[in-house]
Amino acid sequence: MLETANVKNAIEVKNLDFYYGKFKGLKSINLNIAENKVTAFIGPSGCGKSTLLRTFNRMYDLYPGQRAEGQINLYGEDILDPKLDLNLLRSKVGMIFQKPTPFPMTIYDNIAFGVKLYENLSKVDMDERVEWALNKAALWNEVKDKLNQSGLSLSGGQQQRLCIARGVAVKPTVLLLDEPTSALDPISTGKVEELVHELKKDYTVAIVTHNMQQAARISDYTAFMYLGELIEFNDTKQIFLKPDREETEDYITGRFG
Amino acid sequence: MNKNIYRSRKISNTVGLTLSMGAMLLGMTALIWILFILFSKGFAALSLDFFLNSTPAPGSVGGGLSNAIVGSLMMVGLCTFVSTPIGVLAGIFLAEYGDRSKIASITRFVTDIMLSAPSIVIGLFVYAIYVAQVKHFSGFAGTLALSLIAVPVVLKTTENMLRLVPSTLREAAYALGTPKWKVSFSIILRSAKSGVITGILLAIARVSGETAPLLFTALNNQFFSADMNKPMSNLPVVIYQFALSPYENWVNLAWGGALIITLTVLGLNVLARVFFREKS
Amino acid sequence: MENMMSETDVSKGIKLSPEMSKIIRKQRLQDFIFHKVTLTFASLVLVVLAGIIISLIITSWPTFAKYGPGFFFRNEWDVVNSEFGGLDSIYGTLVTAFIALLIAVPVSFGISVFLTEMCPSWLKRPLGTAVELLAAVPSIIYGMFGLFVFAPVFGEYVQPFLTSTLGQLPVIGILFKGAPNGIGLLTAALILAFMIIPFITSVMRDVFEIVPPVLKEAAYGIGCTTWEVVTRVVLPYTRTGVVGGIMLGLGRALGETMAVTFVIGNAHRISPSLFSPGSSIASTLANEFGEAEPGLHYSSLFALGLTLFIITLFVLALAKWMLINMEKNQGSKN
Repeated sequence: MLETANVKNAIEVKNLDFYYGKFKGLKSINLNIAENKVTAFIGPSGCGKSTLLRTFNRMYDLYPGQRAEGQINLYGEDILDPKLDLNLLRSKVGMIFQKPTPFPMTIYDNIAFGVKLYENLSKVDMDERVEWALNKAALWNEVKDKLNQSGLSLSGGQQQRLCIARGVAVKPTVLLLDEPTSALDPISTGKVEELVHELKKDYTVAIVTHNMQQAARISDYTAFMYLGELIEFNDTKQIFLKPDREETEDYITGRFG
Repeated sequence: MNKNIYRSRKISNTVGLTLSMGAMLLGMTALIWILFILFSKGFAALSLDFFLNSTPAPGSVGGGLSNAIVGSLMMVGLCTFVSTPIGVLAGIFLAEYGDRSKIASITRFVTDIMLSAPSIVIGLFVYAIYVAQVKHFSGFAGTLALSLIAVPVVLKTTENMLRLVPSTLREAAYALGTPKWKVSFSIILRSAKSGVITGILLAIARVSGETAPLLFTALNNQFFSADMNKPMSNLPVVIYQFALSPYENWVNLAWGGALIITLTVLGLNVLARVFFREKS
Repeated sequence: MENMMSETDVSKGIKLSPEMSKIIRKQRLQDFIFHKVTLTFASLVLVVLAGIIISLIITSWPTFAKYGPGFFFRNEWDVVNSEFGGLDSIYGTLVTAFIALLIAVPVSFGISVFLTEMCPSWLKRPLGTAVELLAAVPSIIYGMFGLFVFAPVFGEYVQPFLTSTLGQLPVIGILFKGAPNGIGLLTAALILAFMIIPFITSVMRDVFEIVPPVLKEAAYGIGCTTWEVVTRVVLPYTRTGVVGGIMLGLGRALGETMAVTFVIGNAHRISPSLFSPGSSIASTLANEFGEAEPGLHYSSLFALGLTLFIITLFVLALAKWMLINMEKNQGSKN
């Protein structure tokens, strides 16, 4: 098991079960997401990694019939509390999706949209924040002259970086990335992976990926999941060089996938 | 291979396809015939007088349809103004709360009923609850009847268009901590804007041509009047009255009015189509 | 290993700061208003429907109080002596609508087959658009066309022809005997057919287009003729949509006022001949409502309106029931 003595945890998951109606999608998950580190979730399709990620911002709440039982603490506060204001949670825990989802508005407005929800910035401050966020997403130079163009006019890779910029602009604590590069070409993928490396300095990052090499490249900790259970969770180096469990080894060596 | 079976299959095929072609020719002939008559008789009736003069008294010569055109414009305009917010907001309710709300599923069912309700029954209803109570016909009553026809159309297209917006866009908005109303207006509605506007245009086209609901509500007005609290002249009812009359100039004016209505309705349909194609 | 909460953790986590509290409260209020406002507007539709049914029942009550459900079966419409019965209007409504459907469905089917299977591709778009635009033409145009153009031609050439051919056959011959006025039940049915053909065609064509090409290609691949592909593959696949479209067309035909009023003849009687003038519920309302005095005439007209509304409700319910059953069967077959 993972040594967490010197590491502060942003998220602590305790005995988490998840249900899609009657079907149990997650079984007794226990793990910690370390602050300012990248934690990757890998496993075959249907293993529950996206399901787990979506409990961290209670995205499943949009769908009647889906529910979670157990405890998930964000800096000590249980986010599964039914009295919790979900908008507040989501302002602290951001999510980037597999498919780029620019809003139907200008590039500038895309970034400003989330910021306006919770902060009252002057025009000058907002301009600064937009530039800052686009820089963080390594997109500023490409769009600085066309901030008034629609977000939909960008290429796929650019749109995804726009979504990342949008996510960091509101200064969340945690960033959840759900297969952020699977819809992108290799060059854009490389750019986004570099970004993740930069982002962990200021944010806690949890990333779901079906690409093992990506997990090996960019994450500090890796969790291997299978059929709704957490099979193994350790330093990324440990997982990939000397996995404890046989299932982990089988998956990593490609015996099933 | 059994030659007889093959031959009979071939014959069925030829017969079936020939009949289909025949149906197509029949349809095209009818279309061309109707449009030809409409355009030739209609254009013959158009003139400057047509647009500038009010409806002529029985037996008098000349005249135009200016009061009818203005009346129709006013009632359809007011109807659009009233039914658009109601239809769109109701459609938003069905799209946003539709999965969890009993009222939403009932409303959807009732909307289908209203969509297929005969428009003359709508006219009767407005007569009974409004005209009979205030004891006079009015442009407002006519507008009310038209709105009862337009709202279900707008409602249905709005809901359908909003539902077409991909769920990932919706989730991305919620993931930022956006409150529900803002997700609905600033993201979803904005995304579906062109589809919703198309629905509104189609609703306007539909009510522009409706006669029956106006028969017992706005009735008609021989003179020019912009007072919506009085009986209001309108194209469909004027066409109805004039076409069935024995006066030649009235019948001619009816054809002119029919042409105007048809061009308006077709124009709005084409506009809706083009608009939707451009934006999506 | 317990986490120690520090000052900075307050802003990182979800503990509420005062500014945040205010924002959250404002958002909650906005969402609450949003819910109530949209709910109100959606409920308006329900209120209106209830209102229609209630007001129709109340205003037609005197007639039903006098005749009971027998009103539907009385063949009488005497304004002078205040004796009313709905049978002739109901008969006219049903007969014209059904004959219109009888003609419109095969013709629409034929046109749809042409548009989807036989039409050269450069012609498809313009013809398809023409059909859809025709479906939007207001019904009063069809009425005028019927009265001024179609009826004279019909009366001069077609009706005598029908009388001399079909009119001579046993049993059904009686339908086609009568004075060739040009107007009457059959004319009204034909004009109605003209009107609903574009509508049913566009629905059929839309569903035919959605059939996956692989299905059709598979059928062609084993040597099916075009007609067989259409009747054995396309039609079964699309039958839900086709039935839905036909029922919608029927609903429109039943409730149509203007296309029918111009040419139905407006006579309150039932004769065996389709050439004879008659009345439909909508045409009766259009013709007589303007002059009806409060009293039995007035309430009988409303009774007719209520009847028409119930008939269209019934057709709609029937359509929905058929569609649900079809979906069930389709599910089990697949």
